[in-house]
Amino acid sequence: MSETRVNRGFGRVLVVVYAVFALAATARSFVQILTRFDEAPVAYTLSAAAALIYVVATVALARGDKTSRRVATTAIAIELAGVLIVGTASLVAPSAFPSASVWSTFGSGYLFIPLALPILGLWWLHRTRPVPED
Amino acid sequence: MTGPLATLAIVAPLVLALWPLVLLVINRPPGRSLWVALGVVEVIQVVFAVWALVSMVTRTTDFARLEFALYVLGLLAILPAAGWWIRAEKSRAASAVLLVALLVVPFMVVRAQQVWSGV
Repeated sequence: MSETRVNRGFGRVLVVVYAVFALAATARSFVQILTRFDEAPVAYTLSAAAALIYVVATVALARGDKTSRRVATTAIAIELAGVLIVGTASLVAPSAFPSASVWSTFGSGYLFIPLALPILGLWWLHRTRPVPED
Repeated sequence: MTGPLATLAIVAPLVLALWPLVLLVINRPPGRSLWVALGVVEVIQVVFAVWALVSMVTRTTDFARLEFALYVLGLLAILPAAGWWIRAEKSRAASAVLLVALLVVPFMVVRAQQVWSGV
Protein backbone atom coordinates (compact mmCIF):
# COMPACT_ATOMS: atom_id res chain seq x y z
CA MET A 1 0.00 0.00 0.00
CA SER A 2 1.35 3.39 -0.93
CA GLU A 3 1.84 5.86 1.91
CA THR A 4 -1.35 7.91 2.29
CA ARG A 5 -1.33 10.65 4.88
CA VAL A 6 -4.38 10.80 7.11
CA ASN A 7 -4.94 14.48 6.22
CA ARG A 8 -4.61 14.11 2.44
CA GLY A 9 -7.07 13.05 -0.25
CA PHE A 10 -10.28 11.78 1.32
CA GLY A 11 -8.84 12.92 4.66
CA ARG A 12 -9.14 16.54 3.51
CA VAL A 13 -12.88 16.11 2.98
CA LEU A 14 -13.27 14.24 6.27
CA VAL A 15 -11.56 17.09 8.15
CA VAL A 16 -13.90 19.63 6.55
CA VAL A 17 -17.02 17.71 7.59
CA TYR A 18 -15.56 17.35 11.09
CA ALA A 19 -14.77 21.08 11.11
CA VAL A 20 -18.37 21.94 10.17
CA PHE A 21 -19.68 19.84 13.06
CA ALA A 22 -17.05 21.26 15.43
CA LEU A 23 -18.01 24.81 14.44
CA ALA A 24 -21.76 24.16 14.67
CA ALA A 25 -21.55 22.26 17.97
CA THR A 26 -19.22 24.80 19.58
CA ALA A 27 -21.31 27.79 18.52
CA ARG A 28 -24.55 26.14 19.63
CA SER A 29 -23.05 25.11 22.97
CA PHE A 30 -21.59 28.60 23.48
CA VAL A 31 -25.03 30.14 22.96
CA GLN A 32 -26.79 27.57 25.20
CA ILE A 33 -24.38 28.05 28.10
CA LEU A 34 -24.28 31.82 27.78
CA THR A 35 -28.02 32.43 27.46
CA ARG A 36 -29.94 29.59 29.17
CA PHE A 37 -27.62 27.24 31.08
CA ASP A 38 -30.02 27.04 34.06
CA GLU A 39 -32.75 25.43 31.93
CA ALA A 40 -30.89 22.13 31.36
CA PRO A 41 -27.40 22.12 32.89
CA VAL A 42 -26.79 18.39 32.28
CA ALA A 43 -27.87 18.43 28.64
CA TYR A 44 -25.90 21.59 27.90
CA THR A 45 -22.78 20.25 29.62
CA LEU A 46 -23.05 17.08 27.49
CA SER A 47 -23.53 19.27 24.47
CA ALA A 48 -20.34 21.18 25.32
CA ALA A 49 -18.46 17.88 25.79
CA ALA A 50 -19.63 16.73 22.34
CA ALA A 51 -18.47 20.02 20.86
CA LEU A 52 -15.06 19.59 22.50
CA ILE A 53 -14.73 16.06 21.08
CA TYR A 54 -15.49 17.34 17.56
CA VAL A 55 -12.91 20.12 17.95
CA VAL A 56 -10.22 17.70 19.21
CA ALA A 57 -10.99 15.20 16.42
CA THR A 58 -10.88 17.95 13.77
CA VAL A 59 -7.53 19.34 14.91
CA ALA A 60 -5.99 15.89 15.39
CA LEU A 61 -7.14 14.66 11.95
CA ALA A 62 -5.92 17.88 10.34
CA ARG A 63 -2.45 17.59 11.93
CA GLY A 64 -2.09 13.91 11.15
CA ASP A 65 1.25 13.20 12.84
CA LYS A 66 1.89 10.15 15.01
CA THR A 67 0.63 11.59 18.31
CA SER A 68 -2.33 13.27 16.57
CA ARG A 69 -3.39 9.90 15.11
CA ARG A 70 -3.61 8.51 18.62
CA VAL A 71 -5.53 11.56 19.88
CA ALA A 72 -7.88 11.36 16.87
CA THR A 73 -8.52 7.64 17.43
CA THR A 74 -9.39 8.23 21.10
CA ALA A 75 -11.62 11.23 20.36
CA ILE A 76 -13.45 9.45 17.55
CA ALA A 77 -13.93 6.30 19.66
CA ILE A 78 -15.54 8.47 22.39
CA GLU A 79 -17.63 10.15 19.69
CA LEU A 80 -18.87 6.77 18.39
CA ALA A 81 -19.70 5.64 21.94
CA GLY A 82 -21.50 8.95 22.53
CA VAL A 83 -23.68 8.75 19.44
CA LEU A 84 -24.54 5.09 20.17
CA ILE A 85 -25.35 5.70 23.86
CA VAL A 86 -27.27 8.96 23.37
CA GLY A 87 -28.94 7.59 20.22
CA THR A 88 -30.18 4.48 22.05
CA ALA A 89 -31.13 6.39 25.20
CA SER A 90 -33.14 8.94 23.22
CA LEU A 91 -35.22 6.09 21.74
CA VAL A 92 -35.59 4.13 24.99
CA ALA A 93 -36.28 7.14 27.25
CA PRO A 94 -37.32 10.03 25.00
CA SER A 95 -38.59 12.04 27.99
CA ALA A 96 -35.01 12.36 29.25
CA PHE A 97 -34.09 14.22 26.04
CA PRO A 98 -36.66 17.01 25.76
CA SER A 99 -34.60 19.11 23.36
CA ALA A 100 -33.01 17.30 20.45
CA SER A 101 -29.23 17.05 20.56
CA VAL A 102 -26.94 16.33 17.64
CA TRP A 103 -26.72 12.67 18.75
CA SER A 104 -30.46 12.12 19.46
CA THR A 105 -31.92 9.18 17.48
CA PHE A 106 -28.44 8.53 16.05
CA GLY A 107 -28.27 11.95 14.44
CA SER A 108 -31.35 11.40 12.26
CA GLY A 109 -31.96 15.17 12.31
CA TYR A 110 -28.60 15.62 10.60
CA LEU A 111 -29.02 12.96 7.86
CA PHE A 112 -27.31 10.42 10.17
CA ILE A 113 -24.00 12.16 9.47
CA PRO A 114 -23.16 12.11 13.25
CA LEU A 115 -23.38 8.30 13.12
CA ALA A 116 -21.51 7.89 9.82
CA LEU A 117 -18.73 10.33 10.73
CA PRO A 118 -16.98 8.34 13.52
CA ILE A 119 -17.25 5.11 11.49
CA LEU A 120 -15.68 6.83 8.46
CA GLY A 121 -13.08 8.44 10.73
CA LEU A 122 -11.98 5.17 12.31
CA TRP A 123 -11.98 3.44 8.89
CA TRP A 124 -9.81 6.20 7.42
CA LEU A 125 -7.39 6.15 10.38
CA HIS A 126 -7.10 2.38 9.92
CA ARG A 127 -6.57 2.67 6.16
CA THR A 128 -3.85 5.28 6.51
CA ARG A 129 -2.04 3.58 9.42
CA PRO A 130 1.73 3.78 9.05
CA VAL A 131 3.23 0.65 7.51
CA PRO A 132 6.09 -0.65 9.68
CA GLU A 133 9.40 -0.57 7.80
CA ASP A 134 11.39 -3.82 7.69
CA MET B 1 -34.52 38.68 6.33
CA THR B 2 -35.84 37.75 2.89
CA GLY B 3 -35.65 39.47 -0.48
CA PRO B 4 -33.47 39.45 -3.58
CA LEU B 5 -30.18 39.80 -1.67
CA ALA B 6 -30.91 36.87 0.68
CA THR B 7 -32.14 34.77 -2.25
CA LEU B 8 -28.94 35.55 -4.17
CA ALA B 9 -26.86 34.62 -1.10
CA ILE B 10 -28.59 31.20 -1.10
CA VAL B 11 -28.86 30.50 -4.82
CA ALA B 12 -25.38 31.68 -5.93
CA PRO B 13 -23.39 29.14 -3.84
CA LEU B 14 -25.89 26.36 -4.68
CA VAL B 15 -25.49 26.97 -8.41
CA LEU B 16 -21.71 27.26 -8.12
CA ALA B 17 -21.66 23.96 -6.17
CA LEU B 18 -22.47 22.17 -9.44
CA TRP B 19 -19.00 23.11 -10.72
CA PRO B 20 -16.90 21.30 -8.08
CA LEU B 21 -19.45 18.47 -8.23
CA VAL B 22 -18.64 17.97 -11.92
CA LEU B 23 -14.89 18.29 -11.19
CA LEU B 24 -15.25 15.67 -8.43
CA VAL B 25 -16.95 13.26 -10.84
CA ILE B 26 -14.37 13.75 -13.63
CA ASN B 27 -11.53 13.53 -11.09
CA ARG B 28 -10.09 17.06 -11.39
CA PRO B 29 -8.91 19.65 -8.87
CA PRO B 30 -10.37 23.19 -9.07
CA GLY B 31 -8.92 25.50 -11.74
CA ARG B 32 -8.34 29.25 -11.78
CA SER B 33 -11.78 30.18 -13.13
CA LEU B 34 -13.50 28.35 -10.25
CA TRP B 35 -11.41 30.34 -7.76
CA VAL B 36 -12.57 33.57 -9.42
CA ALA B 37 -16.19 32.41 -9.22
CA LEU B 38 -15.69 31.58 -5.54
CA GLY B 39 -14.42 35.12 -4.99
CA VAL B 40 -17.59 36.50 -6.57
CA VAL B 41 -19.78 34.31 -4.33
CA GLU B 42 -17.82 35.44 -1.27
CA VAL B 43 -18.37 39.10 -2.22
CA ILE B 44 -22.12 38.38 -2.41
CA GLN B 45 -21.92 36.85 1.10
CA VAL B 46 -20.10 39.92 2.43
CA VAL B 47 -22.78 42.25 1.01
CA PHE B 48 -25.51 40.01 2.47
CA ALA B 49 -23.75 39.91 5.87
CA VAL B 50 -23.39 43.69 6.06
CA TRP B 51 -27.09 44.10 5.21
CA ALA B 52 -28.05 41.39 7.74
CA LEU B 53 -25.99 42.95 10.55
CA VAL B 54 -27.32 46.45 9.84
CA SER B 55 -30.86 45.00 9.87
CA MET B 56 -30.07 43.30 13.18
CA VAL B 57 -28.80 46.49 14.81
CA THR B 58 -31.74 48.57 13.62
CA ARG B 59 -34.39 45.95 14.52
CA THR B 60 -36.30 46.92 17.65
CA THR B 61 -38.19 43.66 18.35
CA ASP B 62 -36.47 41.05 20.47
CA PHE B 63 -34.90 37.98 18.87
CA ALA B 64 -31.82 35.71 19.31
CA ARG B 65 -29.26 38.33 18.29
CA LEU B 66 -26.20 36.35 19.39
CA GLU B 67 -27.17 33.27 17.35
CA PHE B 68 -28.04 35.42 14.37
CA ALA B 69 -24.71 37.28 14.49
CA LEU B 70 -22.78 34.01 14.84
CA TYR B 71 -24.48 32.53 11.77
CA VAL B 72 -23.92 35.68 9.71
CA LEU B 73 -20.26 36.09 10.71
CA GLY B 74 -19.66 32.32 10.48
CA LEU B 75 -20.91 32.03 6.92
CA LEU B 76 -18.30 34.59 5.82
CA ALA B 77 -15.50 32.37 7.12
CA ILE B 78 -16.55 29.15 5.32
CA LEU B 79 -15.21 29.77 1.80
CA PRO B 80 -11.91 31.43 2.86
CA ALA B 81 -11.28 28.61 5.35
CA ALA B 82 -12.03 25.94 2.73
CA GLY B 83 -9.75 27.70 0.22
CA TRP B 84 -6.94 27.87 2.75
CA TRP B 85 -7.36 24.21 3.67
CA ILE B 86 -6.98 22.96 0.07
CA ARG B 87 -4.26 25.41 -0.98
CA ALA B 88 -1.79 22.54 -1.50
CA GLU B 89 -4.22 19.76 -2.44
CA LYS B 90 -3.79 18.72 -6.08
CA SER B 91 -6.37 15.92 -6.19
CA ARG B 92 -10.13 15.91 -6.64
CA ALA B 93 -10.41 16.01 -2.85
CA ALA B 94 -9.95 19.79 -3.26
CA SER B 95 -13.10 19.85 -5.42
CA ALA B 96 -14.97 17.78 -2.81
CA VAL B 97 -13.98 20.24 -0.08
CA LEU B 98 -15.30 23.18 -2.13
CA LEU B 99 -18.52 21.26 -2.80
CA VAL B 100 -19.09 20.77 0.94
CA ALA B 101 -18.22 24.42 1.68
CA LEU B 102 -20.61 25.71 -1.03
CA LEU B 103 -23.44 23.63 0.47
CA VAL B 104 -22.72 24.80 4.03
CA VAL B 105 -22.88 28.52 3.11
CA PRO B 106 -26.54 28.56 1.89
CA PHE B 107 -27.49 26.32 4.82
CA MET B 108 -26.13 28.98 7.19
CA VAL B 109 -28.00 31.75 5.36
CA VAL B 110 -31.23 29.76 5.78
CA ARG B 111 -30.47 29.15 9.47
CA ALA B 112 -29.85 32.89 9.93
CA GLN B 113 -33.25 33.55 8.33
CA GLN B 114 -34.88 31.01 10.68
CA VAL B 115 -33.27 32.62 13.73
CA TRP B 116 -34.48 36.00 12.45
CA SER B 117 -38.09 34.78 12.29
CA GLY B 118 -37.80 33.01 15.64
CA VAL B 119 -37.71 29.34 14.54
